[in-house]
Amino acid sequence: MADFSWDVRSPLDRTLVAGPYGVQGDAGVALTEIRNFDLVQVMARRGKASEMAQTAQARFGVAAPETPKAVGASDATLIWSGPDQFFMLSKGGKHSIEALAPVFAGSASLSDQSHARALINVSGEKARTMLAKLSSIDLHPDVFGVGAAAATSMDHTSVTLWRGTDRNGQVVFNLLVFATFAQSLWHTILDSAAEYGVTIGHSEDLA
Amino acid sequence: MRITCPFCGERELGEFTYLGDAKPQRPAADASEEAVYDYVYLRDNIAGVMSEHWYHGGGCRAWLKVTRNTLTHEISAVEPAAGAGAAKVGA
Repeated sequence: MADFSWDVRSPLDRTLVAGPYGVQGDAGVALTEIRNFDLVQVMARRGKASEMAQTAQARFGVAAPETPKAVGASDATLIWSGPDQFFMLSKGGKHSIEALAPVFAGSASLSDQSHARALINVSGEKARTMLAKLSSIDLHPDVFGVGAAAATSMDHTSVTLWRGTDRNGQVVFNLLVFATFAQSLWHTILDSAAEYGVTIGHSEDLA
Repeated sequence: MRITCPFCGERELGEFTYLGDAKPQRPAADASEEAVYDYVYLRDNIAGVMSEHWYHGGGCRAWLKVTRNTLTHEISAVEPAAGAGAAKVGA
């Protein structure tokens, strides 16, 4: 009998070419794909929203977002994804669906999205200018501050977008996109970013 | 046209899908054939203010009840349709 070994690969594995792209010189946009994360969708069962919120508070030490926001806990990020639901993003299996299922039993339905989404980190001086071509929502820092999140569409593709902590004084956006749409959106992002010069890479680290 | 989602804020039309008239109510199980026929097939073609169901599929995936003037596209109210998450809004 044949032995099967599943080779876990990123949906962008064949598409992402690390290095410079577009206009040469100082890159205005840095694109980093984050690989190998735990992502669990947590959705309150009917009438159990407050129970779910209490469980989340006890488990992660922070209140789950009730409005479009991303909340950082010590070892996880909770990102609003709709009314009475959020994504739990983490690494290393501590908050895998197997670990969370008994915790939220009765109050929420969980769905493992770890291999169903690609996570793209967008930073650099021109990050917002580039995203403005793809998004119809206002990403100006006065409106979309650190920790702001949105369930929205880019290039007709549903995405979860949130602003992370600034890095080296620069704004950082995070994008979760369906795995099967990741290549398509990736190409659109590259087209939009090419005129500013791009640095492409991938990483195993959330941040 | 833009719709202000009660959960997400103001968003472009492309994120939403139109379902139709929000007025028809499912008749009781013992209702007459005529009442069921009316519920399933007959719709008013309103020129003016009407109540509609919209789905925010490109965003938070909530169903919304939108009050819209079909002549001017002016939207006077948006509220969550009954269902998950709706209980908290406005509470």
